[in-house]
Amino acid sequence: MTLFAVMLAAAVAVAFAGVMVFSRSLYVSAVCLLVVLLQTGVIFLLRGAPLLGLLQVMIYAGAVMVLVVITIMATGGEPEKGFERFADFSFPRWLAAAGLGAAALEIGMTLLLGGFSDAGAAPAAPALGAAFSAALFSSYAPATEAATVLMFLAALAVLPDKEGA
Amino acid sequence: MTALIWATTALLFAAGLAMVVLRRQLLAMLLGVELMIAAVNVSLVHHAGLFSDAEAMAAVAIILAVAAAEAVVGLSLILRVLRAGRGVDAGALTELRG
Repeated sequence: MTLFAVMLAAAVAVAFAGVMVFSRSLYVSAVCLLVVLLQTGVIFLLRGAPLLGLLQVMIYAGAVMVLVVITIMATGGEPEKGFERFADFSFPRWLAAAGLGAAALEIGMTLLLGGFSDAGAAPAAPALGAAFSAALFSSYAPATEAATVLMFLAALAVLPDKEGA
Repeated sequence: MTALIWATTALLFAAGLAMVVLRRQLLAMLLGVELMIAAVNVSLVHHAGLFSDAEAMAAVAIILAVAAAEAVVGLSLILRVLRAGRGVDAGALTELRG
């Protein structure tokens, strides 16, 4: 059962990745990347890593993709500089229908597999969660702190300079 | 299952790499990098589930944080380049200057 669910999520992710590569519109590419990231989050969940799936949805599909779309919007509307494709915010209906259909299919499959209580996910090893926490804050503690400092420095990158540029 | 995950990882990574190589827009190249990172994370999570490897899961968590920071820095750099009037094409950025 889990195999079919992973297969569906993987097929949707690969299909939208293909559309992302060949689409001329950056907006369409960004939305397709959003679908791919959501599907990888589903794969994380099905492979017994619900926390990482949640982080994937929150950080990538949430924060980062909102930043990307806002950047595309901020750079649009200046056709005289050759940014025509940036300002194109139309999304193909067939693609939206395919995405919604895939989501409906996944929800239906989840319900058929026994509801959202187990969601057909592979059971994680009981000690894996505790070992994950221990690894993150013991042997990986310096890397965790470095990532925290890096995120703080990244926040500084969006601040305007003295000229307001 | 392992073959399916590896195939998915390879296809997603190839799509991201193609996007970085073939597209000339800076934002499209950044999206391709994000896609490659997501592909690697899929294989790492599968490895963690297969071998109960907590360190792989920790690596994925750190990769998620670093990739988010990288996206923020990349987007701010792209905005800075655009506001400097140097266009959106990566081919136009042929020289470094202060």
